[in-house]
Amino acid sequence: MNAKILTFSSHGDTTLLEYDPATADMEEVNKLIAEYEAKTGAQPFDMATGERLERVTREQNEVLMVHPIAGG
Amino acid sequence: MAPAIVSAIVFLVLIVWRFVFAGSHSGPLARAIAPQQQRHSNLLAEGLHISDLGTVAVIAENQFENNSGGLHFLDRKDRAKAYLRRIAALTGATQTGSAYVLDVGKMRFRVRDRHVSRLRDVTDPGCALEETCFYPVHRGMPKAEELATALLQLMNNPALFDRWAAQSGAYKADGQAFSPGQ
Repeated sequence: MNAKILTFSSHGDTTLLEYDPATADMEEVNKLIAEYEAKTGAQPFDMATGERLERVTREQNEVLMVHPIAGG
Repeated sequence: MAPAIVSAIVFLVLIVWRFVFAGSHSGPLARAIAPQQQRHSNLLAEGLHISDLGTVAVIAENQFENNSGGLHFLDRKDRAKAYLRRIAALTGATQTGSAYVLDVGKMRFRVRDRHVSRLRDVTDPGCALEETCFYPVHRGMPKAEELATALLQLMNNPALFDRWAAQSGAYKADGQAFSPGQ
């Protein structure tokens, strides 16, 4: 079963990346996540626990990139 | 001399014939032109009609697109609601009407459409209710996903409420300030 990194966007839920957690280069996955965070401010959350992740591991099958919120 | 006269007479007859019968020819010509003009007008009308049809078609197409977009929109709204239900379950939030109540320690948040209120200490009956607005920096996401985003962030970092209330810009889930251009 593939793991996926998704986010909420103006198109609804959008899959950013799908990979096989058994064989994927997790360094590369985390690098892509870091690049996405640098660009959008979104940070990864584990959709199994609801916890924010410092780093995505092979344990996570579904990761949600959560965008920043502003007060207003 | 005689051939010259005959030629002159023939020439004159031809001229007379041309003037006499020109009117009767102009009728059919005019009638021939008229239908052409009519056809032209009809073509223009058809053109307008086509344009109208085109407009209708475009509108219909737009309606179709809107409808299909609507279907897509409904679809994405349904999916967004499903994610919201999942995230509400993950965070332990409970739905009350259009709002979600989230307890984090002694704090109680009530999150609804771009509004969030907080009771600092739910065990303190005199605790004041604070309220602020929020909006995701990434605009245009479905409302349900906005709520889900706020629930996840508040569960993980309830101090974000103070940042949002300060209205001092956008914050990442970990509390770091974020400016969209950075």
